[in-house]
Amino acid sequence: MLKNLAGLWRHRALVYVLVARELKARYRGSVLGFFWSLLNPLLMLAVYAVVFAVIFTGRGPATSPYALFLFSGLLPWNWLSSSLTDAAASLTTHGALLKKILFPAEVLPLVAVLAQGLHFVFALPVLLAGLVLGALGAFGPSIPLGWPLVQAVPLFILEGVFVAGVGLLLAALTVHFRDVKDLLATALSLWFFATPVLYTLSDIKQERVRALLLLNPAAPFFDGWHDALFYARWIEPSRWGLLLAIACVSFFLGYALFDRLRDSYPEAV
Amino acid sequence: MKPDTPAVTAEGLSKSYRKWGRTRAFGTLKSALLGRSLAAALAPSEVVAALSDVSFTVARGETFGVVGPNGCGKSTLLKLVAGLFKPTSGRIAVDGKVSALIELGAGFHPEISGRENVVINGVMLGLTRKEIERKLPEIIAFSGLEDFIDEPVKTYSSGMYVRLGFAVAVHVDPDILVVDEVLAVGDEAFAHRCLDTIAEFSRRGKTIFFVSHSLVLVEELCDRVLYLDHGRVKGLGDPREMLATYRLDVAAGEGARLATEHRRDQEILKENPPLPDAPRKQDVELPLEQPLEQKVPLGPDEKLCRWGNRDVTITGCRLLDSSGAERYAFRSGESMTIEISVAPRIATVDFVFGIGIFTPDEVCVHGCNTEIDGFLPERLDGPATVCVTLPRLDLGTGTYLLDVAVHSRRETPYDYWRGACRFQVDSPDRDAGLYRPERRWAFAGAVSVSAR
Repeated sequence: MLKNLAGLWRHRALVYVLVARELKARYRGSVLGFFWSLLNPLLMLAVYAVVFAVIFTGRGPATSPYALFLFSGLLPWNWLSSSLTDAAASLTTHGALLKKILFPAEVLPLVAVLAQGLHFVFALPVLLAGLVLGALGAFGPSIPLGWPLVQAVPLFILEGVFVAGVGLLLAALTVHFRDVKDLLATALSLWFFATPVLYTLSDIKQERVRALLLLNPAAPFFDGWHDALFYARWIEPSRWGLLLAIACVSFFLGYALFDRLRDSYPEAV
Repeated sequence: MKPDTPAVTAEGLSKSYRKWGRTRAFGTLKSALLGRSLAAALAPSEVVAALSDVSFTVARGETFGVVGPNGCGKSTLLKLVAGLFKPTSGRIAVDGKVSALIELGAGFHPEISGRENVVINGVMLGLTRKEIERKLPEIIAFSGLEDFIDEPVKTYSSGMYVRLGFAVAVHVDPDILVVDEVLAVGDEAFAHRCLDTIAEFSRRGKTIFFVSHSLVLVEELCDRVLYLDHGRVKGLGDPREMLATYRLDVAAGEGARLATEHRRDQEILKENPPLPDAPRKQDVELPLEQPLEQKVPLGPDEKLCRWGNRDVTITGCRLLDSSGAERYAFRSGESMTIEISVAPRIATVDFVFGIGIFTPDEVCVHGCNTEIDGFLPERLDGPATVCVTLPRLDLGTGTYLLDVAVHSRRETPYDYWRGACRFQVDSPDRDAGLYRPERRWAFAGAVSVSAR
C-alpha cells in the first residue's frame, strides 16, 4: 500500500491534465465559460441575502448577518458534497479507462475532489467581496475582518485530504455496490443537517444532541471555516491537531480499502 | 529489461470469472444487507474458466499471434499481458513497456479538442508532458486530422476517433505492442498505414502480441501462432500449420451444423410428405374466412421452396465425399457426390434429373441435367438413386445452395426442390471469387520471382 501511495506522486502529471480537462470540459460550449464559477456563487449569495433579510428574519446576533455566516459554511460544504458525489461515480463512469488501459485508478476520485476544489477556490473571491461588504456594514451590523482569513489555506488542504479519503472509500464501494450512488444523495442531505453549516454547535442547547453531533468528523472543519472566515478568530493548535488527525485517518482508511480492492476494478466496473 | 530474457513468459496461466447468481446480478447493497450475510452475498455462485493452464513464451522481437473462435479467451489473455487483469493462478511476466491497442481512444473526452485529448491520452499511456508536446506534430500528421485537431472530439466520426487513438498509441514507443482487433476500423488507406507501422515496429526489434480474426493478417505478420480453444492451448507453433488446423476445425464445425440442419429438413419431409401439385408459395391465395392454422400450411414446401406435380417425388438428397461418407463441408478441389433418391407415383419413361449450384444471393454457379449431358430416359418404375460426382469441386470459400429437380423432357416439373442441400466450401488460399481454377504462372523477360 505504501509503495502504491508513493507511486501516487509519479502520477501528478496525470492528475494535473485530468483536472485541467474536467475544468475545460465543464464550461465548454457555454457563453460565459469560466465566469460561471464566479457567477454561480454570486447568484447564490444574492438569493440567500434576500431570503434571510426579508423572509427568515429574527435570528440571534451571533450568526448575523446570516447570509454571510451561511455562505462561509456553505461553499466548503458544496465542495465536500459535490466532490463525494463525483468521486463515488468516478470509477464507474470512467470504466472504459480501467478496462482498456493500464491506469492508476486512485487518480480518478482524487481528480474529482481537486476539480471541485478549484471551483471552490474560484468562488472564494465572491465570498471575500461579501465579507468586505459585511465589514463595511452593507448587510446590517458590521463583522470583523482580518488576518485569520489566511487560515482558509490550511483548512482547504486538510478538508481536501479528509474528503479524498471518504471519496476513495465511496468510489471503491460503488464499483461493487451500485446502490451507494443513490444512497449517497440522501446520506449527504442528512450529513448536511448534522454538520454545523446552518448553525453553530453552541446554538444546540441539549447536551446529548451536541455530544452526538460532535461525533461527526466533518463538524470540526465547519467550525473552523466559520471561525476563520465569519468570526475572524484564530483556531487553537489543539483544534488544528484534531483536524489533522481526522484528515489523516480518513485518507489512510479510504486509501487502504481502495488499495485492497484495486485488482477487482477492471473486471467489476 | 535484458536482451536475452523473453518479452512475455506465461506459466500455467489461468483466469476464472465469477458468475454471480440471479440475486446478485447487479450487486446491490440492499440484497447484501437484507438478504444473507455480506460474505454469502459476495461469494460467487459459479466460476467460469476463461483461460486454463496456458503456458508460452514470446521472445524479444517476435510477432506472436493468437487465434481462436469467439469466447476462446483471447481478450482475457490480452488483458493479462497488458497487466489489466491479474491471473487467478499461474504466472505471467512481462519485461518491458507495454502499449495496448485494445480500444483506441479510450478516455477521449468528447467535449474537448483533439489536440488536448492527444496530450491527455499520451500522459495516460505513460508519456511525460514534455515528450508528448514534442511528439504532438508527428502524432497529428500521422492521424491525418490536421484540419479537425482543434475541434471537440464529439464532432469526429468513429473512423477519425480511432485514427487519432491509434496515432497516440503507436507514438508511446512501447517495447511490447499489444494489438487487438483494431485494424478492422478506419478506411483502407489508414489500415495500410497501421499495418506499415506494425511492420516497422517489428523491423525495429519490438515485440508484438497480435490478436485478430483476420487469419490472412495473422499469417502475414506473425512468426508464431497460439491457437486457443475454450481457454486451452490447442496448438502453438508455425502460423501456416496452426491456421490450417484452425480452419479445418471451423469447417468441421460448420459441416456438423449443416449436417444437423439437413437431417432436420429431411425429418420434416418424412413427417409431412409433400402433397402432389403443391403450388408455389407465392401463388397461394387463401380465403380470409379460414382459421389461422389452416391458412399457413407449414410443410416442407413452405420452408424449402418446392414445387411440381409429384409424378416423381424426390425422397432424399445427400452430399457424399470421395469415401462415400455424408458431409456438408468440403475443401476446394475435393470430390463431391450428389446423391438424389426418387420414387415415381406411376411408371414413366419421360424424366430428366437436374442439379443447380447457387450462392446464397442466388447467383447460379453451375446448372446441368441428364438431358444436357446426353442421357435419354428409358424407364423409371420404382424407387431409384441417382448420383452425380463432381471430381474436383473448384469453388472459392463460401456457402452454397444446391437445387435438385426431376422434370419431364418438356420441362414440366415433377418435383423441383430449391435449396435441398446447403454446403460449405473452404479454400486453402486467399484467392478471390467463386471459381478456383488451377493456375500456372510463367515469367519471361526481365522479371524474376521466387517462391514464398
